[in-house]
Amino acid sequence: MKAARSTLARGGWRLSFGGGSLPLYLGMGILGIWFLVALLAPVIAPYDPILQDATARISPPSLEHLFGTDNFGRDILSRVIWGARVDLQICVFGVIFPFLIGTFVGGLAGFFGGWMDNLFMRLIDIVLAFPFLVLMLAIIAILGPGLGSFYLAMALVGWVSYARLIRAQFLVLKNADFVQAAVSLGYGPIRVMVRHLLPNAILGSVVFSMSDAVLVLLNGAAISYLGLGVQPPTAEWGIMIAEGQSFISTAWWITAVPGFAIVSLAMGFSLLADGLGELLGVKE
Amino acid sequence: MLGRRNMWFGAAAAAFLSFATVAPTVAQADTVLTIGRREGSSTFDPIKTAQNIDFWVFSNVYDVLVRVDKTGTKLEPGLAESWDVSGDGSVYTFHLRDAKFSDGAPITADDVIFTLTRIRDDEGSLWSDSYKVIKDMTASDAKTVVITLDGPSAPFLSSLAMPGTSILSKAGFEEMGAEAYAEKPIASGAFVVEDWLRGDRVILKKNPEFWQADRVKLDGVEWISVPDDNTRILQVQSGELDAAIFVPFSRIADLQTDPDLTVHLDKSTREDHLLINHSHPPLDNKLVRQALDYAIDKKAIVDAVTFGIGKEAYSYIPDGALYHYADNLNRPHDVAKAKALLAEAGVTDLTLDYVLSAGNQVEEQTAILIQQQLAEVGITATLRKMDASQTWDLLVAGEYDLSMLYWTNDVLDPDQKTTFVLGHDSNMNYMTRYENPTVKQLVADARVEMDPAKREQMYVDLQKMAKDDVNWIDLYYSPYCNVSRKTIEGFDQNPLGRFFLEDTVKN
Repeated sequence: MKAARSTLARGGWRLSFGGGSLPLYLGMGILGIWFLVALLAPVIAPYDPILQDATARISPPSLEHLFGTDNFGRDILSRVIWGARVDLQICVFGVIFPFLIGTFVGGLAGFFGGWMDNLFMRLIDIVLAFPFLVLMLAIIAILGPGLGSFYLAMALVGWVSYARLIRAQFLVLKNADFVQAAVSLGYGPIRVMVRHLLPNAILGSVVFSMSDAVLVLLNGAAISYLGLGVQPPTAEWGIMIAEGQSFISTAWWITAVPGFAIVSLAMGFSLLADGLGELLGVKE
Repeated sequence: MLGRRNMWFGAAAAAFLSFATVAPTVAQADTVLTIGRREGSSTFDPIKTAQNIDFWVFSNVYDVLVRVDKTGTKLEPGLAESWDVSGDGSVYTFHLRDAKFSDGAPITADDVIFTLTRIRDDEGSLWSDSYKVIKDMTASDAKTVVITLDGPSAPFLSSLAMPGTSILSKAGFEEMGAEAYAEKPIASGAFVVEDWLRGDRVILKKNPEFWQADRVKLDGVEWISVPDDNTRILQVQSGELDAAIFVPFSRIADLQTDPDLTVHLDKSTREDHLLINHSHPPLDNKLVRQALDYAIDKKAIVDAVTFGIGKEAYSYIPDGALYHYADNLNRPHDVAKAKALLAEAGVTDLTLDYVLSAGNQVEEQTAILIQQQLAEVGITATLRKMDASQTWDLLVAGEYDLSMLYWTNDVLDPDQKTTFVLGHDSNMNYMTRYENPTVKQLVADARVEMDPAKREQMYVDLQKMAKDDVNWIDLYYSPYCNVSRKTIEGFDQNPLGRFFLEDTVKN
């Protein structure tokens, strides 16, 4: 990993955008569209996403129902639009908590080293010893299904990647001249960490969090697909795919449309991660 | 079989991968029937299972004393050629026919006594309660068994047709031990287990020693596990499998148009119902339960979930089963009436906890429909999806308000299900905690009533009383949904679920 070029050896929080690349704009565009869709869901969705219509079960795409209806006669388009709210929420909360915990823990371990480093690194080893999804499922099984449990499980499992990233950065940066200078000027450890180390170390994590959002989204959809995440009748893309699975050979649109939504959102995050990485000079 | 929730969760997880897993085709003689099903067998020990996945396979490996016929309405001789009943109905004498086990040893009175003693007394037996009525068994000669009961018991004879009483070889069992026998049993029926690859397939071949061996046309049968519904059906369409069972309702209509396939909708004793936890107020109030019954639109469930293949249910004894009461009350979908009953009971802002198994499409679809129907009368149903093994524990512990289960009969006689559902036995009336002493007494009386006409009237009364009390909400009856290639003839299931593979022909 190479240190971020523009902000190195400077204190404080300064980030400038400029000279972005095509992936960056494409990713931002896709995400922007989905955020708008989620925000405007009540306005643009043509139907109530949970309203069942016995007269219009499993109707193929038509002018009345652009993406068709499912086996309860619910409008797929409206469900995908409303589902964007839930799935974006999953991406945001599923990334933020691990990010904060991981940064905090990794920062402490990297800065202080010694027994604290040993303790946290062994803890990380323990978490990593279990397959990711298995551990998530185990935690959700104990807490009971639902989005709250999902976020908690994500936070308990996902922080390790962020912790390792930040720790590695801190280990390198804490010997840098500008840090040594800050220490010799008599600044306390908290000030050095927050003002001098973190702004320089965090860029890698920010970029990583974008690609992590893809994994979180897929995990959220998988957990809901398995029935342990969002509970029906809430519209969520993973649930929609699960519900349409038995109709996959007779009514493709029930699964295909939410499937496409997941792919496009995931692609948006991926492109954004690439573009950001390039812009900030961070290689994952 | 009890409506035990099976491991749907595993099936759902496996579905992720299973599109790619196509079972390797084994070089096979042409008259081996291959049948795809959702899950694999768990045991061949008849007393240690209550699941269809086991019963449906080993009822073609073992024979029983008395069989249920193809229509599922009559008993016919099996290994017992004939039987006499004493005047007071408490002593049965069975005359065994000349039949042999697959190892060539004759099937004798000792084997029968060993089998029945085992299901009654063995610690691992899931069925001992139903056979406690047997007081004494003696072999008056090698082919005659005399069974003395505690008293008259109307359902006793049909309980001997239950697959749990499959006749085992005493000598073979004692030599091999219970575990080895449960893996590769000595057969008393049409087929013998050649190999059992756990989780993959059960390979059966014809048992030449079977007393009706000339009736069996197939050289062998393979029961193959294909968890994903779509994959299983595709394999039948491509000819890789001869038949598939557990066809989802949603696929029936389009499979019926396929000229290469025969869709079987065999009459069953399956009834799907909504359990109500009577120990949670206000569900202990009969008016509230009746309101729920009025609020739920069974017709909509039949249309949306079973695609019109099922039939609205109105009695716990299913249509076609013995003593089914066709004129039982079927509460219509009536929102106003439901609201009025709730108001009369003084119930407002009712929120109910609806527990369901994750990954079970039928349960999920029904739950989503019922959730909306209850909302129309002002009841909020909170859906709680859990892993199948967890939901079962919740039901047993009583931590639920509503939940959906199903039941298919194991025996011809209605006593078994009635006892489980209304008779206050050890499972708290199938986890509903329903209590009505009058009903309980009538269930006990009907069990010992030997006059068929009087007994039928008792069961009619029981069906009316259960409906009035709303012990649970009857949702729908549905057939067994199977599909086979056109080249397969006689691939039929009777209403109790038994496949008659001894009559199946592969052209």
